[in-house]
Amino acid sequence: MNFFLLSLAIIVVGGTIPLLTFRHFVLTKCIYVSVTAVGCISGLSALLSAASSPESLAWSWAWQHVFTLSFSFDSLSLFFLLPVFLICPLAAMYSFFYFERAENSLKTAVSYFFTNILIVSMALVTAASNMLAFALVWELMSISSYFLVMYDYEKVETRTAGYLYFLFAQGGALLIFAAFGVIFSHNGSFDFSRVVGIPDSAKLVVFFLAFLGFGSKAGVFPLHIWLPHAHPAAPSHISAIMSGVMIKMGIYGILRMYFMLGATDIRLGQTVLILGMISGLLGVLYALGKRNIKRMLAYSSVENIGIILMGAGFGMIGIAKGNSLMAGFGFAGCLLHVLNHSIFKSLLFLGAGAVIRKTGISRVDLLGGLMKRMPITGKTFLAGSLSISGLPPFSGFVSEFLIYFAAFQGLKYNHINLLLSIIAIISLAAIGGLATFCFTKVVGIVFLGEPRTEKVRLATDGGWTLTVPLSLLAIACLGIGIFPAPFITLAFSGLADVSFVSQVDPQLVQTIGTNLGFASRLFLIIIFAVILLRKALYRRKENTAGPTWGCGFTRPTTRIQYTGASFSRSVIDFFRPFALSRETEVRLKKIFPERTRYASWVEDVAEVGMRQGLALPLLSLLGKFRWIQHGNVQLYIGYIIVAILILLLILFI
Amino acid sequence: MKNMNDILLVVILLSVLLSLASNSLGTLVKIMAVQGVMVSLLPLLLEHHSSMGSGGLIFFQVMILIKGVLIPGLLYIALKRISIRREIEPIVGYHASLFAGLIIILLSVFITDKLHLSMPSGHELLLMTAITTISAGFFLMMSRRKAITQVIGYLMLENGIYLIGTALTKHSHTVYVVEFGVLLDLLVGVMVMGIILHNINHAFDDIDTDLLNRLKD
Repeated sequence: MNFFLLSLAIIVVGGTIPLLTFRHFVLTKCIYVSVTAVGCISGLSALLSAASSPESLAWSWAWQHVFTLSFSFDSLSLFFLLPVFLICPLAAMYSFFYFERAENSLKTAVSYFFTNILIVSMALVTAASNMLAFALVWELMSISSYFLVMYDYEKVETRTAGYLYFLFAQGGALLIFAAFGVIFSHNGSFDFSRVVGIPDSAKLVVFFLAFLGFGSKAGVFPLHIWLPHAHPAAPSHISAIMSGVMIKMGIYGILRMYFMLGATDIRLGQTVLILGMISGLLGVLYALGKRNIKRMLAYSSVENIGIILMGAGFGMIGIAKGNSLMAGFGFAGCLLHVLNHSIFKSLLFLGAGAVIRKTGISRVDLLGGLMKRMPITGKTFLAGSLSISGLPPFSGFVSEFLIYFAAFQGLKYNHINLLLSIIAIISLAAIGGLATFCFTKVVGIVFLGEPRTEKVRLATDGGWTLTVPLSLLAIACLGIGIFPAPFITLAFSGLADVSFVSQVDPQLVQTIGTNLGFASRLFLIIIFAVILLRKALYRRKENTAGPTWGCGFTRPTTRIQYTGASFSRSVIDFFRPFALSRETEVRLKKIFPERTRYASWVEDVAEVGMRQGLALPLLSLLGKFRWIQHGNVQLYIGYIIVAILILLLILFI
Repeated sequence: MKNMNDILLVVILLSVLLSLASNSLGTLVKIMAVQGVMVSLLPLLLEHHSSMGSGGLIFFQVMILIKGVLIPGLLYIALKRISIRREIEPIVGYHASLFAGLIIILLSVFITDKLHLSMPSGHELLLMTAITTISAGFFLMMSRRKAITQVIGYLMLENGIYLIGTALTKHSHTVYVVEFGVLLDLLVGVMVMGIILHNINHAFDDIDTDLLNRLKD
């Protein structure tokens, strides 16, 4: 019996039971969480047992006697299965806290069902080993996640976000299928293992078609537009799964397609690297400009996808140049950042969800002072923020270090590769700096200071179903940062089946991991030492504590606090051509002016461009064909007859 | 046996012409019942179907029941419930429709001739009848206003498709996929239309499809 399939079956059952028992709300939640957790844990153990002999898990199934769906595993797919089975049970557990209203129990049950379908389809995406199987589970993944985004379908903005997501998911799928079609037209086989045989010119077309398709799922600039709409609309643990795990399937697709094609054209790596830099820089810039906490996290996902792609780009350049160090560390950094990002991004989304659930506010500038009221949420969010900013001793630093290592390998070359490496190093540094700035803003405005509204003042931490997932994820962030060696080895083992990368000396990898771990632990010890020293020095002195942002006033108000908008203003203005910052004009007309309003917001270049360059012209063009739909049934039938006649005429002539 | 076939086909053709010329909806439903029975009888009498197993016989009997009794019965009930008798003001008049029906028959002969399909002997008339039935079904849908007449036109269209299926299968077959598909289409179509008719009648006090124009965005 295939243990992996068994665990998937358990997960499906766990998703189906709530549909039957939704009348008993708490019972449903308990059953769902426990069954899903059991399924994911057994999936993990199947994964571990499969790590030694992945061939034992392969299976295929003739569907409708015509198509063969086959699934098999290699090291890459096993690596991408890890976040699926690690993050999803925690998100499921968190849903116990998040879905608290019993009157929505049917909606909750439906959401549970599609969540588990999503988990299963993601697991199968990594396992699919022919095009039909891949297409099937890929569509299943897109559609189930669409239903998850539509959870609050009563709201107009949720529906808009859902349609936008559906559009991008299906458009991307179309491009992927087009790439498959090109492959099929060359070798007439659906099997992934036979893709290598197609001619080089076709490989380029296939890769770029697939890159666009997978990129729209992963959120590569400028195809990321659905992310900042869909994530705020979806429930928080769904955002965590989607942002932490599902968009990584886009990355998996890009890597799988690249390794499958076996293309060594250097242009592939260069394109991926450049797009990664653009996504990274602009993603973090827009994250800085956004006020909605979940929208900001969505843009930060775009940024991290950019970093992941930069790693992949270096890996591809390394393979093209025959530099196994650059290839190995580029891809390993890419994979480790996939794992890290799935951990800290889901941590951040879950934390943000807790804040939103407890206060009902998602605007950063209306929150404040939550560190004292929600200490565990606050501290874990801080850990996630440090990690995502790539600061030692947290996990983000480790993977970014590997990518830096690959980037510095690029300095050996000349001309364009040297230039690209230098720009990449600079932009990686800039991304890290801006991300630190961005998360300083979020933590500073949301968790520090004083509460700005009454509901924020009354907020408290949730029960253990909230705190346990958050704490586990935060510990994982810190753990990977302090003991990076096994995880770096893990990332390299994910590349074990790439023959070129396995030339990297394992001794070197081990040494780098150990040194990195030593540096991180040293850093941690220094921090604690400084804190202790400060405590010791201040023990004898007199300390007074006043309210934050009291500023020496006798009657301070919470409205004099620094806001996120003003904090990020200077940086946004610096990047003006890319971040379209808009503001309403304020003009005082009378001597005693009336109440005035001021608003400022930052617009996304890609979104504005797509709206004005693509959507609006298309709408006005298609609007001209409106007369075709006149509502007369008889004429509609006439259309059918005309169509048939034209087809028959073509046949006769 | 061959004569029997031809008689059935002529009856089908006549029923098509009659349906184009009749203005009473009750009569139209009765004509459809006759046509349904004829259409489902036809495969039984074709030569290459003569060696048919018991499963096939049962299938065709069920077919006769559905086409001749169940669907017309449903339509009749719908007719009773919305209490209309006649198609008033058709888009194309009855005499003009009859004339159009004759032209359709001529055109079908022409198309059958042009298609050059390798038919089993004696099936030429069958294919021609099938194409006539399909075209007349389309014509009925286009030229009448009442929704129920459109359902009947749709029924006729499906009868024609069924006939083509019969005409083109050369050997006796055991898997009635096409026939079942057509049947399912029909049943669903009639049921959905029955429900919709009821609702339209409820909302507008009429089942004139001109009123459906309001439903577009």
